[in-house]
Amino acid sequence: MNGAATGGVRTVADGRSDALTMSNVTPELILLGLVVLTALAFDFTNGFHDTANAMATSIATRALTPKAAVTLSAVLNLVGAFLSVEVALTVTNSVIKIQNADGSPKGEFLAGGGHLLLVILLAGLAGAITWNLLTWLFGLPSSSSHALFGGLIGSTLAAVGPNAVKWIGTGAKLDGVIGKVVLPALFAPVIAGIVAATGTWLVMRLSRTISQRYANAGFKWGQIGTASLVSLSHGTNDAQKTMGVITLALIGAGMWHDTHAIPWEVKVACAIAIALGTFLGGWRIIRTMGKGLVEISPPQGVAAESSSACVILASSQLGFALSTTHVATGSIMGTGLGAPGGKVRWRVAGRMVIAWLITLPCAGAVGALMYLLDPLLGPIWGPIVIFGIMVGLALWMFLHSRRDIVDPHNVNDEWEPTTPAPEKASV
Amino acid sequence: MDQFLAAVDGAWRVLLTCLLLGAGLPSLYTIGLRNLAFADGALNDQVSGGRRGLHRAIAYALFAIVVLAILLGLSYIIAHGFGWSIGFNGIVPTFTKK
Repeated sequence: MNGAATGGVRTVADGRSDALTMSNVTPELILLGLVVLTALAFDFTNGFHDTANAMATSIATRALTPKAAVTLSAVLNLVGAFLSVEVALTVTNSVIKIQNADGSPKGEFLAGGGHLLLVILLAGLAGAITWNLLTWLFGLPSSSSHALFGGLIGSTLAAVGPNAVKWIGTGAKLDGVIGKVVLPALFAPVIAGIVAATGTWLVMRLSRTISQRYANAGFKWGQIGTASLVSLSHGTNDAQKTMGVITLALIGAGMWHDTHAIPWEVKVACAIAIALGTFLGGWRIIRTMGKGLVEISPPQGVAAESSSACVILASSQLGFALSTTHVATGSIMGTGLGAPGGKVRWRVAGRMVIAWLITLPCAGAVGALMYLLDPLLGPIWGPIVIFGIMVGLALWMFLHSRRDIVDPHNVNDEWEPTTPAPEKASV
Repeated sequence: MDQFLAAVDGAWRVLLTCLLLGAGLPSLYTIGLRNLAFADGALNDQVSGGRRGLHRAIAYALFAIVVLAILLGLSYIIAHGFGWSIGFNGIVPTFTKK
């Protein structure tokens, strides 16, 4: 909160004041406003896209009611977003080269009130949102971070060229598209799957003799505890990314100069956006993860969430950060493999894996196409049309989703209504 | 290739840590639950008698270990957020300002 008071200096862009003659509403200011709005919208989609990671198992096993689960997760995401005071300003540095090592934007992107930087961010975020909404429409869990990185890589490619993308890190330090995106995505589901399968096998064996009602009551608390850890850690990590992007935009536009602090308004806005998104609950994705992939019983729920919480925290501690989405889905698949008689619906899993593979290139393609509208339509109409197209696409996908509504009332319905899944023998 | 090896290096560390904690802790929790179920007479194959007090004590001891681990996870998230790093020299966690 004190960042704005002590660290930050806000001025109208130095040396550009002459340009601000007629009124304060300049094209740059409109562009900045669009970037901030789009970033908050992305944060919102990030929230509801990832509710499933923490809460799908607890909802499927009825450890928590759907409403209670999203409320708990939203509160923890809100708290998590404020818990973090580290400045994630360098968030884009692992995949593109538009920022210096200290997080400040590179000089060549700052001409004309940071127009190039702001349009790259706007187009990249628009690509990320479009992909997040499309995968949500299909009920597919895909990584919001991959979508963000993909969108930004696409818009940077279109704006500057392949040299501005950091494809691979040097030496043994994991970096670039390969080291920070591709390799972690390959390992995450495997690690989480092995851990969850082992945990599931052990927990189910050890709980065989406990009467089912007694066991379910006990496992309820185990699930709530571990799901809470996942939610909190999501709030600290993911809200920060948007805070970093918005602060980068403000620096680019000359509205903020401190690379060691984030304006408190930005922090509050991002925290609220991700919490509201979480509270909305991406029911389509929750349904796929809780009911579609595997029929989850309470002991499996505990094993899967423990695995997710542990892998997320341990990977971040050991410097091999993994995507929450990939970890959570890996855990759920693992719990289907580790349970005696459990099964994974491989068709659903296959669709999901395809979505993972194409997230980065698809978000990138949208980001690149969006960027191209700027040189085509000019610095005033370009950004406005980019924003308009994104809003139009979002609206279209929302209306499309109303055809088969998934909400708290039917999120736990049987996945295949004609052939009811066999009862889990967790006794 | 260096990047791939670095990823493998990170991956097996995470895997080992989590087999121990991510699969081990819920197993401990379940053993605790089974002891508590015994003390409450909630096992399917329950035989009467046995030292119920002892099993209850074992259960609470195991739950305490699990709660400690969750608190450790929580303190990790919070410490990390405030720019501290957490080290495990031996077993005892130590917090240092980055």
